[in-house]
Amino acid sequence: MNDQTQSVNPPQRALTLHRELTAVWSDLPGWRGVLASVNHGTIGLRFMATACVFFAIGGVLSMLIRAQLATPRGAFLDTAVYNQIFTMHGSIMMFLFAIPMLEGLALWLLPKILGARDMAFPRLSALGYWCYLFGGTIILLSLLGGVAPDGGWFMYTPLSDKTHTPGINADVWLLGITFVEISAVAAAVEITVTILRCRSADMPLTRMPLMGWYMLGTSVMMLVGFPPLILGSILLELERAFDWPFFDVTRGGDPLLWQHLFWLFGHPEVYIIFLPAAGALSTIIPVLSRTTILGYGTIVAAVLGLVFLSFGLWVHHMFTVGIPHMALAFFSAASALVAVPTAVQVFAWIGTIWKGRPELKLPMLYVLGFFLTFVMGGLTGVMLAIVPFNWQAHDTAFVTAHLHYVLIGGFVFPMLAALTYWMPLICGRARVPRVGEAAFWLILIGFHGTFFIMHLTGLLGMPRRIDVYPDNPEWIIPNLVSSIFSMVMAMGFALFAFDIVMQVIFGAHSRRNPWRAPTLDWAMSLPAPAYNFASLPGPGLDHADAAVALARGTGWLPGAPRGWRETLVVNAGSGRPEHVAVLPDNTMLPIATAAVIGSFFMLMLAGLYWLTPLALVAIVLTLWRWGAVMGADTDHAPILVAKGQSLPVHWQVRGTLAYGGAVATLVADSSLYACLLFGVGFLSVVAPAWPAPESGLSGLWSAMLIGVALVALTLGALFARRAEARRGSAIAQTQTRLGVVSGVIALVALVSIALLLDDPTRHARDALRGVLLGFAVVHMGIATLLAARSHADARDGRISAQRRGAVPVWRLWQDFALATTAISGLLVAAQEVL
Amino acid sequence: MLIGSAAIIAFVLILLAWAWRRPEGKGADERVWTLGLGVGFVMAVLVALVGYGFWVGERILPRSDGAVRVAAEARQWGWAFRQPGPDGQPLETQEVLYVPAGVPIDIEITSTDVIHSFWVPRLGGKMDAVPGRVNVARLMAHTPGEYEGLCAEFCGLGHSFMRFSVIVYEPGAFPDLSNRQTGGADE
Amino acid sequence: MRWAMGMLAGPTLWAVLFVVVYALHGIGCAWGWPSVSFGPTSLHIAAMMGAWVAGLVLHLVLLWQMPKGHDREGRLQRAGAWIGLVASGVTLLPIVVTSSCG
Repeated sequence: MNDQTQSVNPPQRALTLHRELTAVWSDLPGWRGVLASVNHGTIGLRFMATACVFFAIGGVLSMLIRAQLATPRGAFLDTAVYNQIFTMHGSIMMFLFAIPMLEGLALWLLPKILGARDMAFPRLSALGYWCYLFGGTIILLSLLGGVAPDGGWFMYTPLSDKTHTPGINADVWLLGITFVEISAVAAAVEITVTILRCRSADMPLTRMPLMGWYMLGTSVMMLVGFPPLILGSILLELERAFDWPFFDVTRGGDPLLWQHLFWLFGHPEVYIIFLPAAGALSTIIPVLSRTTILGYGTIVAAVLGLVFLSFGLWVHHMFTVGIPHMALAFFSAASALVAVPTAVQVFAWIGTIWKGRPELKLPMLYVLGFFLTFVMGGLTGVMLAIVPFNWQAHDTAFVTAHLHYVLIGGFVFPMLAALTYWMPLICGRARVPRVGEAAFWLILIGFHGTFFIMHLTGLLGMPRRIDVYPDNPEWIIPNLVSSIFSMVMAMGFALFAFDIVMQVIFGAHSRRNPWRAPTLDWAMSLPAPAYNFASLPGPGLDHADAAVALARGTGWLPGAPRGWRETLVVNAGSGRPEHVAVLPDNTMLPIATAAVIGSFFMLMLAGLYWLTPLALVAIVLTLWRWGAVMGADTDHAPILVAKGQSLPVHWQVRGTLAYGGAVATLVADSSLYACLLFGVGFLSVVAPAWPAPESGLSGLWSAMLIGVALVALTLGALFARRAEARRGSAIAQTQTRLGVVSGVIALVALVSIALLLDDPTRHARDALRGVLLGFAVVHMGIATLLAARSHADARDGRISAQRRGAVPVWRLWQDFALATTAISGLLVAAQEVL
Repeated sequence: MLIGSAAIIAFVLILLAWAWRRPEGKGADERVWTLGLGVGFVMAVLVALVGYGFWVGERILPRSDGAVRVAAEARQWGWAFRQPGPDGQPLETQEVLYVPAGVPIDIEITSTDVIHSFWVPRLGGKMDAVPGRVNVARLMAHTPGEYEGLCAEFCGLGHSFMRFSVIVYEPGAFPDLSNRQTGGADE
Repeated sequence: MRWAMGMLAGPTLWAVLFVVVYALHGIGCAWGWPSVSFGPTSLHIAAMMGAWVAGLVLHLVLLWQMPKGHDREGRLQRAGAWIGLVASGVTLLPIVVTSSCG
């Protein structure tokens, strides 16, 4: 079907198509549009704009820090406030600026550059945004209320436990950040599925724009890398709220468990931030050098190497906690090795400039700023990977300098390049000349003036996170220099923001594809329409030059003749079109769901634990509504997407986007579970105060209950299979009903085990058993809800020979719940026997 | 290390400038850039550096060779030390550590509350004080004198002031303690 | 998508091997394996060496199995196998050069 013709559908009037699509795809007018939008363009821009606001807030906090440190006896802030401010600076920049910024860029850009109309899960985009906004707001309000987190952005226990931080400061961090991370995991699920399934027709994975590879690497890393922190936060909050001793050395815990979990997230995080920025560089450099990227395959391999290796470095943040030298050496070697794929990319970019004719446009200035800054940050990073040097420089201003070189060099500069590069597509206007260049120079000079000298300050022995240094006159001059230049940098960022506002208001209308780029993100009119493409790109129509042809509907799946939001779903590897997904319309459901999740976190924060079940019920009710508007109760004829090519709609196929999303969610869930198992293993091998006291769980009762639960779970898995196999007949409804019953039995059995558990506050082993049981109950609960959802689908006629309703996803969850419950049961049994 | 990094930075920047100013010529060879420079050059530098790091790291590990043992106990916010005194008997002090010059010292570091970190910048690397475990750091001071030490891990409100000093004396010439605060005096 | 599995195989093997050796190291230090002699060396070193060498052999087998084609899929699979081999070789080298539980 892959022929040379330029069109697969007859041409139509572009304006008619535009009106038809706009009516279907645009947000609602007025306030309802603000609350109900699910469009990736709107949500992506909101993410980025909100992230920039948080960047400004974080920046103001850093100015306060620099003002305090400008003199040795700064009396500007008292110590308690200073501790809150540096903690909030780090937390805001990491969790409320960097991560949401890259999510926003991914949401806004990916469908455009891959040739789709929207992300795979538009409602999930919106849910993610509202979780981020609400969580961020809680954290900010705590700063205004003077109860902001104050234990440093990595929240080491025991400093952050109830004894040493009795206020709610640490709870704000743990609950607020976890709330925001829900949005990060949601985004990761969505980005993964979108890149694998929502590309243009016949675009194989190996030919997609490099941005796709980078974002795929990022999202998979987020799926695996965020759960350790989520688990750590849950454990620490359980310890703070209910005195379960995961980190208390006197009762079988160990503060180092927190450090492992935190950095197991924290180091991949650095690359999670870097990869999208590198994706932007790999997109911008060839365009502005008027050539193609050098070494596509090698760069993909480098991304692959980074994704894996970056999970083998986390201990290099813990070189001074007293870990044996050989273990340090493993991580030291891995930390040095990770420089190789990074260097491969840097040299590929320089080689691209070498073979092209570079033009010094504004985005290119930021690219050059990146090269200068990031290479220096990378080299200090290699120095810190060397154990003896690390022992000297760890926790000093040297590390502060290093991490700002890496994060500002490796993320902020490329993001500024990306913003200036894509602004014409965002607002449809060209920028006002010369202001941007001035902002660039202020930022560059201010940055290096602030942070270069900080290397020296650190080598002079100045530790991080101190607020006064009256006895160290040798630190005065370098600190003053840093403070003065930081003001220059702040002026630069202010000017950058001013430039963007000027461009939106006063910029001249930009011509289409102003950079003469080849990629599909420019194959549309400016500013980008809500539906991106009037007809979807494919072979022969896969270049920015195809803009007019696509607008006239000669590509795949033109217009919105059925009044639905449709996009193509393709085979993950080859890109062959497989079915048509009908995406959800504007809805208030995401904001309602985020609000009830938020109420759960607020109740936890307020210590009203007895009210939280109400919030959980509300969450279940809203999620039930999500499922209720999926699927259909009648079959639809295949849709003609191109001459001679008809494809089914999504409710009549098995490999839907939603199924892919469930798989991606389980990847993240598996990572969480694996970290929990790591916690059990780590504490029982390493923590003092083991072996644990005699347990009361060894009786016959607990063995019987776990046996009942496992049998019921297994039966449930069988019912799910039979419900799917017999979906055309009335038997399906019997199977789904049996599925619900077996789920309830399993739940009752599991909950009864809780009555036999030893007091979880006694020892970390008992507390961990409580968590393992909680994990099993939650997953069993979700599996039972999915069985109930499937039963409702069967009852309402959403299941037929062609339609499967929620059954495949139920089956997947049931299997996962069965596997994890069995492993947990075996683990506890092994603990009892050994 | 400093000279090496400066050289690498200069190399990359010159390459970049050259790429920019280069007259129109033939295209770039992918293998030279990615495999040659990216993998080959970088691996060579890293292997040398990491190998050297292992060697130094091994050399400064504490080992059982009869080093002087002292104990440092961190708390919010201060340090208690126990070391051999003038008469060879253990001596307890607050905020001041006395050690002889020219011999290796093993410091057993622990904490009574949160995580702190023992660091004397002019004498060597730092080691964390973690509740529930004893970490051993090895130091050696060649020249007698007073050295400044501090807590390098953020530990709460008093972090900035959690300082101590190390007084290094000629072996056999324990300094006069009469004008110093020692273990007897409470703060 | 078989090629994607092939591409991921090498790095995945590295990840598993890294975790296994790190776990053996931690368990060995906790249970006093360095003082248990095993042939010319200690049980601790022997266990880690055994896992490492077995892993490296698997890596070589993987590299051997990779398709020889010059299309992008083939090259990516070979790159993945090489990344895994080099990563396992370099990051676990400390088994033979540093002291185990000091």
